[in-house]
Amino acid sequence: MNESLISPFNITHPTTVQTSLFALATFARFDPTGRYVATARVDGTAAIWDLDTRSAVRVLDGHVKAVSSLDWSRHSRYVLTASKDWNVVVWDLASFCLPAQRRTTLRFDAPVVSASFHPRNSRIILALLSTGEAYLIDQRKAHRARVELCELQEESDDEGAGPSGRTRSAITVARFDPSGKHIFLGTNAGNIIVFSTRSKTMVARHKIAGAGAIKGLEFTKTGRQLVSNSADRTLRQFTVPIYPAATADGVYLEQELEPTHRFNDPINKTAWHSMSYSPDGEWLAGGAADSAQHKIYIWDMSNDGQFASALDGGREPLLHLHWHPSKSSIASTTNQGNILIWHCPHPERWGAFAGGFEELDENVEYEEREDEFDIEDEADMIRRKMKEEEEEVDIDTMPEVSKPRQIQMHGVHVGDEDIVWADDEPDDDLEDWKMRVIMEEDWDM
Amino acid sequence: MDVDAPPPSLPETPTGPQYKLRYSLSGHTMSISSLKFSPDGSKLASSGADKIIKLWDTYSGHVLRTLVGHTEGISDIAWSNDGEFLASASDDKTIRIWDMSVGTEVKTLLGHTNFVFCVCYNPTSNLLVSGGFDETVRVWDVARAKSLKVLPAHSDPVTSVSFNHDGTLIASCAMDGLIRIWDAESGQCLKTLVDDDNPICSHVRFSPNSKYVLASTQDSTIRLWNYQTSRCVKTYTGHTNRTYCIFACFKGKYVISGSEDNKVYIWDLQTRKVIQVLEGHRDVVLAVAAHPTKEMIASASMEKDLSIRLWSNES
Repeated sequence: MNESLISPFNITHPTTVQTSLFALATFARFDPTGRYVATARVDGTAAIWDLDTRSAVRVLDGHVKAVSSLDWSRHSRYVLTASKDWNVVVWDLASFCLPAQRRTTLRFDAPVVSASFHPRNSRIILALLSTGEAYLIDQRKAHRARVELCELQEESDDEGAGPSGRTRSAITVARFDPSGKHIFLGTNAGNIIVFSTRSKTMVARHKIAGAGAIKGLEFTKTGRQLVSNSADRTLRQFTVPIYPAATADGVYLEQELEPTHRFNDPINKTAWHSMSYSPDGEWLAGGAADSAQHKIYIWDMSNDGQFASALDGGREPLLHLHWHPSKSSIASTTNQGNILIWHCPHPERWGAFAGGFEELDENVEYEEREDEFDIEDEADMIRRKMKEEEEEVDIDTMPEVSKPRQIQMHGVHVGDEDIVWADDEPDDDLEDWKMRVIMEEDWDM
Repeated sequence: MDVDAPPPSLPETPTGPQYKLRYSLSGHTMSISSLKFSPDGSKLASSGADKIIKLWDTYSGHVLRTLVGHTEGISDIAWSNDGEFLASASDDKTIRIWDMSVGTEVKTLLGHTNFVFCVCYNPTSNLLVSGGFDETVRVWDVARAKSLKVLPAHSDPVTSVSFNHDGTLIASCAMDGLIRIWDAESGQCLKTLVDDDNPICSHVRFSPNSKYVLASTQDSTIRLWNYQTSRCVKTYTGHTNRTYCIFACFKGKYVISGSEDNKVYIWDLQTRKVIQVLEGHRDVVLAVAAHPTKEMIASASMEKDLSIRLWSNES
C-alpha cells in the first residue's frame, strides 16, 4: 500500500544492510508472507523472528543436533525443521505457548540433510538423508505412504544383477518445483533427476555436462527457470522443460540440459554457498564461499544475466542467503551466526514535510496561468468546490494485490490432476491465518 | 458566508438510517474520552478522565469488567486484532497493555515525556503507534514493551494516529494543523496534507480501503482527503467542533461524529448531507464508535452527562 507514495521506479536489488539480527544461526529463511524470518542453530533450536520488531517471537526447541534445513508452509502456519538427529519436526505456530508445539515428528534411520513441504500441502513432505536417499512422505489419511525415490537405471543394464548389484549414485539435493508437480533431485554424478510427485515415478534424467556433484537447486517463483550449484564452482541457469505426464511403463526422458547462463568467479574461482532469485525472477543473487569476506554477487537476469553488483557485508564470511518473497530484500547469514537483512533504501524526501509542495529535480521556468491570481468570487469558489465534491468516492474496494497463488506456474494447466491430487485433504494452513502476539515476560534465550 | 451553498443539515426522513437508543450505560465518574468496539463486536471498551477502563457487553449492556491501574486520566484506547489485548494512552505518560481475557495489566510502555493522547494497533497487532503532548509519534514493539521508533512528527501535541489496513502507512495529525503520512517501516514522512486556514486537526483515520483519510478539524469541519493527490474530496459540516478533539468514524456509507452541541451527527458519505442527528446526551459528545458488523453505534459524552449510549438502526 505504501508503494504508491514511495517512488514507483525503485524496484531494484538490495544495496545496503538495513539491520542485523544476532541469532547465532547457520542459515535464515523468510516466510512466504515476508513478515518473518526463521533461523536455525547448531544446537538444534530454531527461532522465528518478526521483521517488524526485529525480535524473536517463537522458539522451536526439539532437536538434539544441528538443524540442517527448514521450510515454511505456504501461509506460514507450519514450519518444518530437519536435523542431523535423524528427525524432521513439523511445528504449528498457531499454538501460543512457548516453546512452540509440534504437529508431527518424522523419524528416519540416518541424519536428515534437507526436508521440505509440498508447496500446496504441508502433509506431503520430501526428505533427503545423508545416505543419499530421498523419501516422499504423505501423511494424508487416504494417501498415507513413505516412498523412496529411486533412480531408474539404463535399460541396457544386466537384469540378473538386480538393483543391489549396481552402483547407485547418491542424491545430494532434493527439491519440489514451485508448483509441487515435480520433484527435482540432484546427484553426485552430476545428474538432475525429475520425479512426478503424484505417481512417484521418474519422468526425466538430465545430464549436466561438466558439473560434478550437484550442490543446490533453486527455482524462480513461476518454476520456469532453474539454477544449479555444483562441485565445479559454477552456477548454471536452465529453462525447465515441460514434462509429459508420468506413464506406468517406466518410460522417462533422457535429455542433456544446456544452460542458458553460467556464472562463476573467473579470478578467485570461489565456490558458491547458496543462491536465490528475486521474486520477479529478474535478479539472481549468489552467496560466495569466500573465507575472508561476506560477498553477495547479483546478476541482472532481465539483462541477459549481466553482472550487476557485488555487495560487501563486512568481514564475517557468508554461509547462506535467501531473497525476500516479495520485496527487494535479502537475508544473508554470517559464519558468526548473525543475519544481515539487506534492503534498498529510499532517499528521504524532505519536501514531503511541507504540505502542498512538490520537489523538482531541476529548475523549471514557471508559467503562470492567465487567471492564477485573479480574485475569485467567494460564492463562486464555494459553489465550484461543492460541485467538485459531488464526485462519488469509493472507500471500500481494496486495492489489488497480486497473490502468490495467482502466479501462472510453469507447466501447470487449469484443472491439473497433480494439483487436484495435492489439494486433496488440505492442511488447515489458511490464508487469513495470523500469528498471535505473545506477551512474554522474559524473552532472553 | 451568506451564500447559496447547499444547506448543510435538513434531515431526510424516508431514506436515511433510523438509529434509535437501545441502551444507556453509566459507570464512569468523569468525562468519557474514548469508545472502541472489540474486533468481533461483542464488547465495548470505554475510557475516561476517571483513570479507569470499563468493558461492556454490547448486546446486553452489562458491565463486564473495570480495569484500574493508570494514575492519571486516559485519553484513548485501542483493541488488538484478535480482541485479546487493549492498549490505553494516559496522561500519566504511559501506555498500558491489558490482557482482556483475564483483565490484568501485562505491559507498561514507558518513553513519552508528556501526556499520551492517542494509540493505534497495526493490523497484525505486533506494533503499536502512539502520539502525545511531547509532539512525537512513537512506534512500539508490543511484546517487549520496547520503543522502536520516535518520529519527531509535529510541532504541537499529536492528537491522533492511525495505521492503514495493511500496516505499511501511519497517518498522524496534530494541533499544528498538519496531517502527515509516514512509511511505517522506515519512519520516513511521505506526505503532508494541510488545509488553507490551518485549523487544529483533532482526529484522523484511514478509509476501510486506505485510499482516503478522514480528518476532523476544529473549524467544525470533517474532510475526506485523497492523500495521493493531496485533494480534499468531501467536506462534512453541520456539527459544532471548536474546542475538543472529537472522534469521527465510517459506518458503511455513513460518516459519524460527535459534536459540541451534545448531538451525534450522521452524514451520507457521498452526498455530504446530514441524514440523522441523534439527540439525548446532555454534554459534549467526544467519542463515537461504529460496530464492526451490526447496524450499531456507540457514543459517549462529558462531565455533565457521563452516559454511554448504544444506538441501533431499526430501518
